[in-house]
Amino acid sequence: MEGVAGVCSWQQVDARTPHPEYATFRRYYTQEVCSAIAGARAGGAAEVLVNDSHGPMRNLLLDDLPADVRIIFGNRKPFSMVQDADLGFGGAFFVGYHGGAGEADAVLCHTYTPSVIYEVRLNGVPCSEATINAALLGYHGVPLLLVTGDRATVEGVQAQMPWVHGVVVKESIGNFAADSTTPAAAQRAIHRGGEEAVREASAAQLYRFEPPITLDVQLVTAAQAHLVATIPGFERTGSRSVRFVHDSYPVVFKAFVATWRLGSQA
Amino acid sequence: MKVFISCDMEGTAGVCSWKQCDPSDAHEYPIFRRYMTLEVAAAIEGARSAGAARVLVNDSHWSMRNLLLDELPTDDDLRVISGAPKPWSMMQGLDAALDAAFFTGYHARAGECATLSHTYSDSLYSVTVNGTPCSEALLNAALAGTYGVPVVLVTGDRVIVDEAARALPWAIGVAVKDPIGYSAVNSLLPAAACDAIRDGAREALGRLDRAKPFAFDPPFELTVETTTVEQADFIELMPGFSRAGGRAVRFTASEYPAMLRAFLAASRMAAAAEPIA
Repeated sequence: MEGVAGVCSWQQVDARTPHPEYATFRRYYTQEVCSAIAGARAGGAAEVLVNDSHGPMRNLLLDDLPADVRIIFGNRKPFSMVQDADLGFGGAFFVGYHGGAGEADAVLCHTYTPSVIYEVRLNGVPCSEATINAALLGYHGVPLLLVTGDRATVEGVQAQMPWVHGVVVKESIGNFAADSTTPAAAQRAIHRGGEEAVREASAAQLYRFEPPITLDVQLVTAAQAHLVATIPGFERTGSRSVRFVHDSYPVVFKAFVATWRLGSQA
Repeated sequence: MKVFISCDMEGTAGVCSWKQCDPSDAHEYPIFRRYMTLEVAAAIEGARSAGAARVLVNDSHWSMRNLLLDELPTDDDLRVISGAPKPWSMMQGLDAALDAAFFTGYHARAGECATLSHTYSDSLYSVTVNGTPCSEALLNAALAGTYGVPVVLVTGDRVIVDEAARALPWAIGVAVKDPIGYSAVNSLLPAAACDAIRDGAREALGRLDRAKPFAFDPPFELTVETTTVEQADFIELMPGFSRAGGRAVRFTASEYPAMLRAFLAASRMAAAAEPIA
């Protein structure tokens, strides 16, 4: 949701203590998803599964979506933002995405849990949510086709996955301001981008990490690392950092989810 | 001789309510943390009288900073571990350099008809190792056993003392109270409990030569039943855990410390699965 046109503040995307602005931006968010669905359909997609992947993961206004898609709704999914990636898809879209923790000029940059995750690397590669999620899709044979969000986010994804179509809906001005297209213009661009992305899906590649896969997570505080280091198989690599190595990416992905779930208890 | 004391609180004489054991309680907790401290001091005195030169106390309840430090002996050969979280929790500080372990203020496992019965976390419904239902005492005794350290004294309510007598027949048990269900007790007074604990500690070390390290047989198969499905969802995220039912997870290790560490991570992770609105 942070990468939706116009979004520049946590209050606009905070579903838990809803600010009046949330209701407005949840509508824009739903409309951008609708545009992506329509674009995918125009490009030839037969079936669409939407995974609501923001905050409590039940933000979409279901009435406003086309009636013939399926939706994953609700929180605490083991594979979180890429739940059910293994159901045999021809391609994936990341809509409303944002930059990774610490990224400059990326609106509301963070990686999963802002208060816990300072930096994530997989096999040494600095990762945003897009990277971490694309690798699970890649593991299941699903290429990432489209990313929408601010310029830093889109270009960050394209630097790692040059085949991905990007729709830049806004230019970040620091982390809490944006020079944005209007919702209607963003929706038109996402429709076009989605259509092209599906049409050119055959040119897309899979994004994967080669085993053994090393997950390095830098936590925000030493207390979090202290707690996370008690997860079986984890190694403390520094006062605020932990490492986990495994050959299977789904195991690594779940271990990463466990990291921020447990880390938030410190 | 060097003695390790893991001191919990629910098994202290007179304790029959969470309020008495809850560090955020302004009224009853300050009284009962003093009783806890006095029982630990009695155990130290008993150990000293039996020849223990050095004592290491690990505060093992809740925030793990309950003991009133200026009411403990003041010599240089007593050390106290305070605070939480600790990687080894109730057993932090125990290693092969210790000669014996005491468990004071201990309580019955989750599901027992006994005072404030639970196992590490309120979120856990049951814990078994190799099919044996485990209390904190048993889980912890097996870690001590890994390092060759026998548990020689268990104090607490009658149910945990009886369980210890079955699993650790060489240990001295001091039952300071009889549970009347979950939240009432028929108890010794604190002073009498301290006398019994002091005597028990002395006797326990007096027959140390008969004591044995307790151990389960490898491989160590841990099964944890949670109270909710979501707690099991969370635990299952962690490497090495598999699902054994809607509210059950399993973890197998060839080394007991690895299994216990996984158990402790599971109990912490279960606590993270608070219901969400």
